[in-house]
Amino acid sequence: MKLIKYLKPYWIFTLLTPLSMVGEVLVDLFQPKLMAKIVDEGVVAGNMELIIHTGIMMMLLICLGGLCGVGSAAFSGMASQGFSRDLRNDTFKKVMGLSFEQTDKFTTGSLVTRLTNDITQVQQFVDFALRMLVRDTILFIGGIIMMLSLDINFGLVLVCVLPIEMIFMIIIIRKATPIFSIVQKKLDKVNSVVQENVAGARVVKAFVREEHESERFDKANVDLMQTNLKVMRIMSVLNPLLMIIMNLSVISIILIGGFQVEAGEMQVGQIMAAITYITQILLGIMMISVMFQLISRAHASAKRISEVLFIEPVIKSGSYVSEDNKIGTVSFKNISFKYPGTNGDPVIKNLSVDIKSGENFAILGATGSGKSSLINLIPRFYDVDEGEVLVDGVNVKDYDIDCLRKKIGMVLQKSELFSGTVSENISWGDNNASREEIEKAAKIAQADEFVSLMPAGYDGYIAEKGASLSGGQKQRLSIARSILKKPEILIFDDSTSALDLGTESRLQRALDENLKDITVIKIAQRIASVMNCDRIAVLEHGSLCAIGTHEELLKTSDVYRDIYNSQMKSSEEGEK
Amino acid sequence: MAKNQKRQSIPSNNPPLRPMGRGPRGAMLSREKPKDILGTLKRILSYMGKNKYIFFMLLAVMLTITILNLAAPSLQQKAIDTIGFNGVDYKNLIKYLIILGVVYIFSSGITYFQGWFSAKLSQTTVKIMRNDLFRKIVTLPIKYIDTHNHGDLMSRMTNDVENISNCISQSIGSLFSGVLTIIGSLAIMIYYSPILTLISISTIILTLLFTSVMTKFMRKYFTRQQILLGDLNGHIEEMVVGYKTVVSYSKEKDAIEKFNEMSDNLKKTGVKAQICGGSMGPLMNIVSNVGFVLIAGFGGYFALKGLISIGTIQAFILYSKQFSRPINEIANQYAQIQTAVAGGERIFAVMDEESERDDNSNDSEFVTDEVSGNISFKNINFSYVPDKPVLKGFNLDIKSGQKIAIVGATGSGKTTVVNLLTRFYDIDSGEIEIDGVNIKDIPKGKLRETIGIVLQDTVLFSDTIRTNIAYAKPQAELSEIESAAKTANADRFISRLPEGYDTILSESGSNLSQGQRQLLAIARAVLADPKILILDEATSSVDTRTEMNIQSAMVALMKNRTSLIIAHRLSTIIDADKIVVIDDGRVVEQGNHEELLDKKGCYYNLYQNQFAGIAT
Repeated sequence: MKLIKYLKPYWIFTLLTPLSMVGEVLVDLFQPKLMAKIVDEGVVAGNMELIIHTGIMMMLLICLGGLCGVGSAAFSGMASQGFSRDLRNDTFKKVMGLSFEQTDKFTTGSLVTRLTNDITQVQQFVDFALRMLVRDTILFIGGIIMMLSLDINFGLVLVCVLPIEMIFMIIIIRKATPIFSIVQKKLDKVNSVVQENVAGARVVKAFVREEHESERFDKANVDLMQTNLKVMRIMSVLNPLLMIIMNLSVISIILIGGFQVEAGEMQVGQIMAAITYITQILLGIMMISVMFQLISRAHASAKRISEVLFIEPVIKSGSYVSEDNKIGTVSFKNISFKYPGTNGDPVIKNLSVDIKSGENFAILGATGSGKSSLINLIPRFYDVDEGEVLVDGVNVKDYDIDCLRKKIGMVLQKSELFSGTVSENISWGDNNASREEIEKAAKIAQADEFVSLMPAGYDGYIAEKGASLSGGQKQRLSIARSILKKPEILIFDDSTSALDLGTESRLQRALDENLKDITVIKIAQRIASVMNCDRIAVLEHGSLCAIGTHEELLKTSDVYRDIYNSQMKSSEEGEK
Repeated sequence: MAKNQKRQSIPSNNPPLRPMGRGPRGAMLSREKPKDILGTLKRILSYMGKNKYIFFMLLAVMLTITILNLAAPSLQQKAIDTIGFNGVDYKNLIKYLIILGVVYIFSSGITYFQGWFSAKLSQTTVKIMRNDLFRKIVTLPIKYIDTHNHGDLMSRMTNDVENISNCISQSIGSLFSGVLTIIGSLAIMIYYSPILTLISISTIILTLLFTSVMTKFMRKYFTRQQILLGDLNGHIEEMVVGYKTVVSYSKEKDAIEKFNEMSDNLKKTGVKAQICGGSMGPLMNIVSNVGFVLIAGFGGYFALKGLISIGTIQAFILYSKQFSRPINEIANQYAQIQTAVAGGERIFAVMDEESERDDNSNDSEFVTDEVSGNISFKNINFSYVPDKPVLKGFNLDIKSGQKIAIVGATGSGKTTVVNLLTRFYDIDSGEIEIDGVNIKDIPKGKLRETIGIVLQDTVLFSDTIRTNIAYAKPQAELSEIESAAKTANADRFISRLPEGYDTILSESGSNLSQGQRQLLAIARAVLADPKILILDEATSSVDTRTEMNIQSAMVALMKNRTSLIIAHRLSTIIDADKIVVIDDGRVVEQGNHEELLDKKGCYYNLYQNQFAGIAT
């Protein structure tokens, strides 16, 4: 429960909540007495004045109690909401600092649940604990004291009953707790089936697998229900058990009371009081059992949050901050890399290459040859296992990470857009960019042509991650975004694949004209996209297999020739 | 249990509602209260009614418990009465204690059944609901899926359903026993004194008035809180899912800043909502005690006038206390019920969406196995958004067994052709025919079974590679699966994976590259063996050499079936029987590669673009 420190800034509220709760409880305890007075002395005796008098007293007292109640609600709200806000903010901040290795491990879905559901769970628990824990403890302990003060013999009943109740409670909760976490897993399964079906609706429909998917869902659903029922079946034993014991102790109190009264050591009224108190004590126990259930749920959530909150970032920022020197060199020195947590061959083996300032550098290679992995190492999305990656002659590990990433503009394979207008999305590259700059970047990226056709133009709203845009349009917007960033090094990770050929060549021309000085690293499948580059590196199974200009490679590299032929040969034939 | 919980905070349990739809932000703030509370409640009840047996058992059990709860105190009293100042009447004491013991044991036993039945009722009800909802989601038209927030849809399935489940298992019990107690004590109260009952009822009316005012406040804050939470969750989802992009642009700080701001707003509203919710109990307490004082006052007055006996007042006060308690309880459950109703409304809103329908489809005429694969598009007009036509008078004839390539600029409507042929979307006007049968007359299932489709964005399911390939044909033998994988050139990388065909694909997908995923999708289509094959940029992430390797397989795959290929790569389309160039929603050119080059039109320009480097 390391999370408790998040309550610290709100300690006043944290303290005031139980205090005002005590006020409310005291009024609650006192109120029956006044009520009895009204009935016994007022109504029975026909004393109208006393009724009115005590009535007003009682009203005032009740108002005070109500005030305390409202106060405790308000204080606990301030404490628990403040607590959860701080916790949420810190956790989100942490998530924003995770490396991909770590987000891969957590999976995005689980990170989202941790940030949302789990935090709400914990917040509810804090709120509940502040208000109920104190209240019930007071009632519980107060009840015991009052009971013992009535007659020490009643202690016997307590000594017998309390341990039994506790034991039952512990046994049952012990049994149920592990199933609670299974329930969570089954729920995850249900969610993931839904998620997959929503995201993959086209495929499900195309293969006419609706029935199959429904069955799959059915299975997960029934599974969830059964696990839920299993745990509920166990839990529903608890209350009746506690009740039976409680009621039996009421019987024994009447019996003991009978003996005591006969022995002249007690009055009948005291038996009544004792019954009231033991009921109170045992209600307290039941409440504690509810608490335990909440604790075990909140504990699971707190654990999940802590896992994120207290994780050590794998990628630690260095301290080197470069001046505004725009060099733009990248060197890979003898690097090897394997995705964390995978076994088998490394994705990149002993690779060395130097990319010069202002160079137009292309990387070509088969599916799975390690192209994307290689460029992921430049902005330190992942760290190399061996060797070093240098940007502007400095090891990337020594850079202040923001400084490093500011130098690099990366257009990812999967273009991710965010809800907001077109211009908001483009200005991700530079918050302070003027409209002219945004439009210019869009023009270079060949995005202007379709944006200007949209009814609202640059102020048009991009819905649901750009679902309304075609793949090529999304790619062009993310290219515009990177261009606006004015990086030293611009990396295209196969991010022109959805562009038709005309658009791509226009893009290339615009880049050549407008961004002459920056280093461009381009991963592509199409020879036509890369053949004009200064140098082309051909990767094969994670190693560099050839490097040179298009012409050189045609002469020297079999692999390159193969690729070339696969794309060009038939077209040359066509031209004949 | 319900009794102990009556002071529990009114749900600060805030279901992450996602705003409906999207549209410009802020527009959804207008969404206020549930529109049709009664109707929605009725539907939830009708779902519960599907378990009539358990439902009525639960009611019976609760009735018994309420009666026992009313009986036990009087028995207790009788037992204590046997203990007098003049000694103890042991015979009667023991008798009453034994009866009491039996009643207690019986009522505890029944309490177990109450817990069990209400768990069962809530779980089975919710299970049926989830099932219905899922079946609905699977049959929703693609149009719905494309235009709605996926996170929102997910949240209906999880949070909203959960709210209903909580409501059933927690609120129904206290609601029912509350109502019973109210009716019971009301009857007794009227029996004792109709006038005092009237006074008592007037305090009830006060309570109700008060409740409705309070809930208006509460609803305002709770709704706002839910909307803010929905927005916050939306932000979280976007930033976490698009984390790679966030990081590439060093946008973490902005994301955090925005998050903190939203988080802060949520906190402020949350505090207000919680104060409103938490004040309900204490304030109700005040109101009900005012009622008590009133009764005591008037009762005393009437007693003085000799209108009623003192014993009557005493009894009456006890019962009026019993009367107001369940009303408080019900008021406290109100928020939970309201959340459940709001959730129910969101669930039913999806359920009431129209499914994909097969209007005039007559099953008998169309037999999947006998399709030869002639396709004709006749004068198709189509738009996703009214007044923005994507296809305008689109005409195309495809003969059985032909290999057709569709090319055109980004956004020219290539993928739309696929969407229409598979009836993911329905055309505005015109006709599409397969073997001369209008596709509107073909049941969608059959239509899609004849069409195999490989999409640019590969969809794989978190299951083994084997199950993913066998998606269209679950009963396929391993040998069939392997040979399909070989055809798609996927066998090589699959066998290099530690678990081979039993490797479970993970969400993060770091274990497979984009290209490898596409190969799996191709293998899936190979195994499905459709009459008509559509490849929508199916090999865009596969490198060309690998593509060449699977070329022969692709040729084999496309043999004897009609194939539609959408691609940018000339290498993929060059030996198509017919290349169709789409521009601005129309077919502008068609013919084979040579013919089109000779024309020196659109296609020639496209071609020149790609090969500009070589040609010059």
